[in-house]
Amino acid sequence: MTADEIRAHIDPMRHEFAEERSLVLPALKFAQTEKGYLSTEDLRAVAEAVHLTPAYVESVASFYDRLYLEPVGRRVVSVCVTLSCMLRGSDEVMEHLCHREGLGHHGGTSEDGVITVQEAQCLGYCDAAPCIQVDADQTRGPFTVEQAGELLDELRDAPVPTRYVR
Amino acid sequence: MPQLNLVYRQREAGDHLRDLSDYRRAGGYEALRTAVTTMEPDEVTYSLVRSGLRGRGGAGFPAGRKASFLPKDAALPSYVVCNADESEPGTFKDREIMEDNPFQLLEGIAIAGYAIGAKRGYIYIRGEYEHQALVLDDALRAARQAGFLGRDIFGTGFTFDITLYRGAGAYICGEETALLESLEGKRGQPRLKPPFPAVAGLYASPTLINNVETLSAIPPIVERGADWYAGIGGAEKSPGTKIFSVSGHVMRPGNYEIVLHQTTLRELVYDMAGGFRPGHDFKACWVGGSSVPVIGAESLDTPLDYESLNGVGTFLGSAGCIVMDDSGCIVRACLRLAHFYNHESCGKCSPCREGTSWLEKILQRMVDGDGRMEDLDLLEGLFGRISGRTLCALADGAVMPVRSAIALFRDDFVRVIENGSPRPEPMMEVAVHG
Repeated sequence: MTADEIRAHIDPMRHEFAEERSLVLPALKFAQTEKGYLSTEDLRAVAEAVHLTPAYVESVASFYDRLYLEPVGRRVVSVCVTLSCMLRGSDEVMEHLCHREGLGHHGGTSEDGVITVQEAQCLGYCDAAPCIQVDADQTRGPFTVEQAGELLDELRDAPVPTRYVR
Repeated sequence: MPQLNLVYRQREAGDHLRDLSDYRRAGGYEALRTAVTTMEPDEVTYSLVRSGLRGRGGAGFPAGRKASFLPKDAALPSYVVCNADESEPGTFKDREIMEDNPFQLLEGIAIAGYAIGAKRGYIYIRGEYEHQALVLDDALRAARQAGFLGRDIFGTGFTFDITLYRGAGAYICGEETALLESLEGKRGQPRLKPPFPAVAGLYASPTLINNVETLSAIPPIVERGADWYAGIGGAEKSPGTKIFSVSGHVMRPGNYEIVLHQTTLRELVYDMAGGFRPGHDFKACWVGGSSVPVIGAESLDTPLDYESLNGVGTFLGSAGCIVMDDSGCIVRACLRLAHFYNHESCGKCSPCREGTSWLEKILQRMVDGDGRMEDLDLLEGLFGRISGRTLCALADGAVMPVRSAIALFRDDFVRVIENGSPRPEPMMEVAVHG
């Protein structure tokens, strides 16, 4: 994404912050909507738009779980594995999805590049445990192992998103 | 076992209050009108002090006193910041407020802004709550359009607006100074305190930072009076209502807004949350989120309020009550929590960064059947090297559930060290998600 596109997004909210630096997170999140992750060029563009160095911008981006500095799948499937979900079978769901996609225990991206499966820490839907969030869509649950597998089938058939909110 | 929906006004109304007209019909924005047209800002703060309302995010600090700490004659502008980074394991109460009753939160923030003389408030919402952020976006637009935010609110000259700020996935940003760092565009790492945010918070300005539920409790207090609120429940230091999120091995997981001190843990778990599957019964519970000491069946008759829970060695915390029945393994539960804190440690303080990593490793080898009896002493030594040696409470949150589990369920640890721990069957059911 270009610095101009990022500026067009953040300029209307500049007056809401006493310091320009506060725009770095909104800028990073917006830049990520283009490809679903942040490339070196994206980090440079963000740096230019908020008048910070690329190294500083990367130091911020690398802190947050939901900002990706490497390419990830077209859809990112986050399986909550924290205690309430574990008691309700999240490990079984996670293992099933990883096995199905030919991934190691802790997830990764499928060979066709469509699906990334990752562990998530408590997503705040413990009443729907075990729960799953796709990208930043509304988290849903409870899932059985079979239903979680069907969710991946649905995601494979779904159209490619025009922008990625993660 | 009284439930009383003051913060969950949508439950009283029988349906969500995402439309401003519905919220108005349910009495919404009368409190803001009362505050700005009939009360001095200091009166509002004083009313909060008298109400006895305590911070609902986890620390339980008196909310009125926190507001009263802001200097009156500061050179810099003051801010209200709403902590909507709800990330404590087992806690999902704020989610329901933002989803179904967003205007009560916005009204509470505006009243708090009036009390401290702020012109702007911020809601810092966790990145994973994008759905709730979209609801708040709509609510903010509607409130501005109706004149409940913006210039000259109720024709009084009071000007106030709110900015919604989305996080990007970090538990530590629920710690108030880490949140402020993140909001300033930095890595979300806690600050050395003092100075506290009341004196030097956002942009080094006086800042009142409160949890979603705390701020949402302000409108009913202003509307019906501090004395009325202070009298709810009958416990001197724990008045009012509190939303408990109940999850884990219970039949009816969900949010329950209860009158503090009038409800016992047993009533919450068995009567409200439906108890357990046939053939299973209570084993353990982390009543205030995962960062508190675990308690066992002998504590079931404890009244749910701050002091009574302290009396049985735990904390009310965020009231994210995680319940485990006798099918669960306490050592595996500890391991899972240790994994959480290890993952979420921000890395700033060495005792936490290194300590949570060792905590997970030692518990992992116990579960794998490679544990040694001396590991229990090793853990005790480790706790002493972590606890109280860090800038924020994350490290103590990592230690307390494990340390208390060893004290309370030592036999279980010994058994796991001797034999390892096969993974128990989870409680899975036919899912009903939409």
